[in-house]
Amino acid sequence: MKIKVVTNILEANDRLAAENRKIFQDLGVYVINLMSGPGAGKTSILEQTIKGVRGKINLGVIEGDIAGDDDARRIESLGVPVVQINTGGACHLDANMIRVVMDELPLKGIDLLFIENVGNLVCPAEFNVGEDIKVMLLSIAEGHDKPLKYPLMFQESTALVLNKIDLLPYTNADIEKIKKDSLSLNPKLKIFDVSCRTGEGIGDWVNWLLTIVKK
Amino acid sequence: MHEVSIAQGLLEIAIDNCKKQGYKGIESIKVKIGKASGVMPDSLLFAFEALKPGTMADKAVLIIDEIPISGYCNSCSSNFTVNDAYVTECPKCGHMSLRIDTGRELNIDEMEVC
Repeated sequence: MKIKVVTNILEANDRLAAENRKIFQDLGVYVINLMSGPGAGKTSILEQTIKGVRGKINLGVIEGDIAGDDDARRIESLGVPVVQINTGGACHLDANMIRVVMDELPLKGIDLLFIENVGNLVCPAEFNVGEDIKVMLLSIAEGHDKPLKYPLMFQESTALVLNKIDLLPYTNADIEKIKKDSLSLNPKLKIFDVSCRTGEGIGDWVNWLLTIVKK
Repeated sequence: MHEVSIAQGLLEIAIDNCKKQGYKGIESIKVKIGKASGVMPDSLLFAFEALKPGTMADKAVLIIDEIPISGYCNSCSSNFTVNDAYVTECPKCGHMSLRIDTGRELNIDEMEVC
């Protein structure tokens, strides 16, 4: 006996993500799913962002890592509410993981919640977690071939933050090629050049965040 | 990389459907997996075999129908189909502004139950 099913396998995740989104929206929390490869500087941009928005809006952070709580400690030391998820090997965060930990944050007092995904340029783009937008971080040291090698991540993101621009003189990375290829894949992509080490460009990024959160 | 959670998801959906419709077991499950879905068929089969023992799908065979990437080029107005896992430019004119129509599927299509 054959029966037709025709169901998206990720449906359960998408349904949970929609529920998460509703909870966040009802509480007035704007949510950004922050994605990048390992070592691009996700926690560093969060540290800079925390300093940049201090006194203007309240942040919260969900940290996703395979193991360890180093990142959560860095955020906590800056006085921002943070909860750590250890995926225990999974290469991405999914909507259920967010659902389980969200109550540990004082959501009512948070204007902007960053969900720092597991460092990986492939899988996180496939799984919605209940975010308003996805933001991708790419460091110059990763090379200018990344947009065309990992197109989905660039296509799904609203903004691309190019970190470690202070390293440009020491690498062969062609930042204009990164921008050209990224925009070809996603013409609406908003691009920021920053250095978390020197603080260059952080102002523009922070101002943009303040604009979208106030909307 | 995340084939285990995909296999878990598809088993849950299949078993749920089987129970709801009052059947005892699943003989086969047919899935449509797009080439650009990021899911490797071999890994999915492996994960499925590892997860099915002890469930209603204990004896089930997983049949994977791979869907190629197809789409439309906004520049030269042509339709295209490719066999790669990704497409970044039009195979005909090389332009990068594309509309992708198929290739991202991750669907259960049908199953045989008893």
